[in-house]
Amino acid sequence: MNNLKMAWRNLWRNRRRTLITSASVLFAVFFALFFRSLQLGSYDHMFKNAIESYTGYIQVQQKDYWDEKIVDNTFAYDRQLEQQLLADKNVEAAIPRFESFALASNGPQTKGVLVLGIDPEKENHLSKVSEKMVRYRLDAESISKIGQDPEIPDKVKELARLFEDNAYTNSSRLQLDLGISDKDAPVIMPSIESFTSFENGYIKMGEPGVLVGDKLSQYLQLGIGDTIVLIGQGYHASTAAGKYEIKGIVKIPLPDIDNKIVYLPLDICQGLYNAEGNLTSLALDVVDNRDKAIDETMARIDKIVTGDKRVMGWREMNEVMVSQMDADNKSGMIMIAILYLVIAFGVFGTVLMLTAERKREFGVLVAIGMQKKKLASVMTAEMLLIGLIGMLSGALVATVIILYGVGHPIIFKGSMAKMFEDYGMEPMMAFLGINTYFLWQIFIVALMVLLSIVYPLSKIFKMKVVNALRA
Amino acid sequence: MKKQISLLFFLLAAGTFATVTGQDLSPKEIVRLADEKFNGEKTSTSLMAMTIVRPTWERTIEFKNWTSGKEYALTLITAPAKEKGQTFLKRQNEMWNWNPTISRLIKLPPSMMSQGWMGSDYTNDDILKESSVVNDYDHEIVGEEEINGRLCYKIKMVAKENAAVIWGHQIRWIDKKDFLFLKSELYDEDGYLVRTETGMDIKNMDGRVIPTRIELVPADEEGQKTVIEIKQIEFNKPINDSFFSQQNMKRVR
Repeated sequence: MNNLKMAWRNLWRNRRRTLITSASVLFAVFFALFFRSLQLGSYDHMFKNAIESYTGYIQVQQKDYWDEKIVDNTFAYDRQLEQQLLADKNVEAAIPRFESFALASNGPQTKGVLVLGIDPEKENHLSKVSEKMVRYRLDAESISKIGQDPEIPDKVKELARLFEDNAYTNSSRLQLDLGISDKDAPVIMPSIESFTSFENGYIKMGEPGVLVGDKLSQYLQLGIGDTIVLIGQGYHASTAAGKYEIKGIVKIPLPDIDNKIVYLPLDICQGLYNAEGNLTSLALDVVDNRDKAIDETMARIDKIVTGDKRVMGWREMNEVMVSQMDADNKSGMIMIAILYLVIAFGVFGTVLMLTAERKREFGVLVAIGMQKKKLASVMTAEMLLIGLIGMLSGALVATVIILYGVGHPIIFKGSMAKMFEDYGMEPMMAFLGINTYFLWQIFIVALMVLLSIVYPLSKIFKMKVVNALRA
Repeated sequence: MKKQISLLFFLLAAGTFATVTGQDLSPKEIVRLADEKFNGEKTSTSLMAMTIVRPTWERTIEFKNWTSGKEYALTLITAPAKEKGQTFLKRQNEMWNWNPTISRLIKLPPSMMSQGWMGSDYTNDDILKESSVVNDYDHEIVGEEEINGRLCYKIKMVAKENAAVIWGHQIRWIDKKDFLFLKSELYDEDGYLVRTETGMDIKNMDGRVIPTRIELVPADEEGQKTVIEIKQIEFNKPINDSFFSQQNMKRVR
């Protein structure tokens, strides 16, 4: 107890030194947590995007479909199975889909596209296609209207030109891209919204018509009311060909999908591929999307799904993305390791200095009869206290910022956002809330502090009192 | 479609050369005789059915076929209903597809050449290939064998070194009496069997003795084959070259 008291007093004897040392620990903890949260949060966000806009957490498929994604590997839409699946406590909805590839063409423009037959109403449980309808668009006409409006600042006009041809599903993203602050929004936004508003329609079961991705529509130079031609291979090698009116334009947050997706009403799509009544997958929306709950749900469903069908989880379905993330995660860890190395030397440097500064003090203490062992334990306590102060304050600062960040992801605006989009990424960075990674970072920093204690301790034990007194 | 064409020719061959005795012919001559109708005969109009057999399903497509020499061919799909009205046009080494559902005329690109025609085991390339079984191969009689009770020359044809052919060698069984290709085995450059084609159901059609059923069996695909049946065929009914036009692809019935 005395040791601790002495250590505590020692700390505040030289306040500046203590503060500098604990500040270096603070920064170590803070940056490690901050970057980790940002990185893990962005993965989480990307997974959610991919899963929720596309694959769903769990799918039921024909057993060979995943290995060979052809229309022949489909299964009959079995209402009885659907009821059984819906009876599971973690299954919220079962969404039927028919997915295939086709060549889409308009005049001389042709592109390979992903054709997705959906039930437009049921899809609102999962990919929420109806929320992804384009509502505003910065086309040449709307930009010129913006350019002529005297009330709109030049900065906004410039950004509008930069984002030419961008489409928006909500006005808040539009506001961000145009760099309009919340303060100015009530004045400027209504007129911008009216300049850029986009008439969009939706698809309905039984009615021929398609929705196309925004980027795809631009590539094929197609707009609402135009006709898109689809040609592909149908069931049992038949010809699948059809032309459809474009009812609406969607903007999918994943650019890779946005530039190749075509949505058809399920029954129309089945007709196109001559596979009436068949599905390529039944995507399941879950109540609890935590890994453990999903694994348990899959195990239960596995018993219901028999015959020529199988169950697949999102990890298996997004294998490429999972491994990409893994690789990126590794590189993130290397970055953090370098950060730790720099900070470890920072902490060690201050400890080194502190030891050198107090060499004479240590000598005097030992000379007047203090046991080296006791001195060492006081020193250890001092270091641990410094570490503790640094870690706690670092974790505290990080927690406050991260908790704020979870509700307010970093959303890039203006030209920065453009850069992200050009790289095919959504212009935002999300944070991951407090999780096990917190403990890991704190553990590693604690280890660093413990390692740097070794130096002053060895100095103390090797110290020659006579020399130390003369220091 | 090439198949249909070659089939056709060999039907023709059968008719034309039925009287020639093969005893004193060189192997090249035999193949030339069997093949000559490729260039020798004028036109054909036929009605065929193609059955695609797969391990878990099978499907039949019916079509009308017009050919003129080796250069021109027009095919109209007549069944099933969903695909009725599609036409394919071959002019020299180009191939076009008209699809009435989407009102599009598509020129088949080189990348589609290795794909099956209408999902069958015949590739688009089989239909278009311009190589000659006479000039691009070295021929050798390797024996005589009976195929379905008919005595045949067994002729091995090895592709010449700089010939633009996809096969390494072929073995063909040619009927000694009627000069019919009764069986062909096609091998790739490494000497592996790729497919076997067999002609059967030899009948008299429009005055000629021909096999009316051709089976193509790919070597490495278990349970797959494509069968072509000739339901009706007429020879040398005059067809104007302008019949084989893009305009006519949309009109022909």
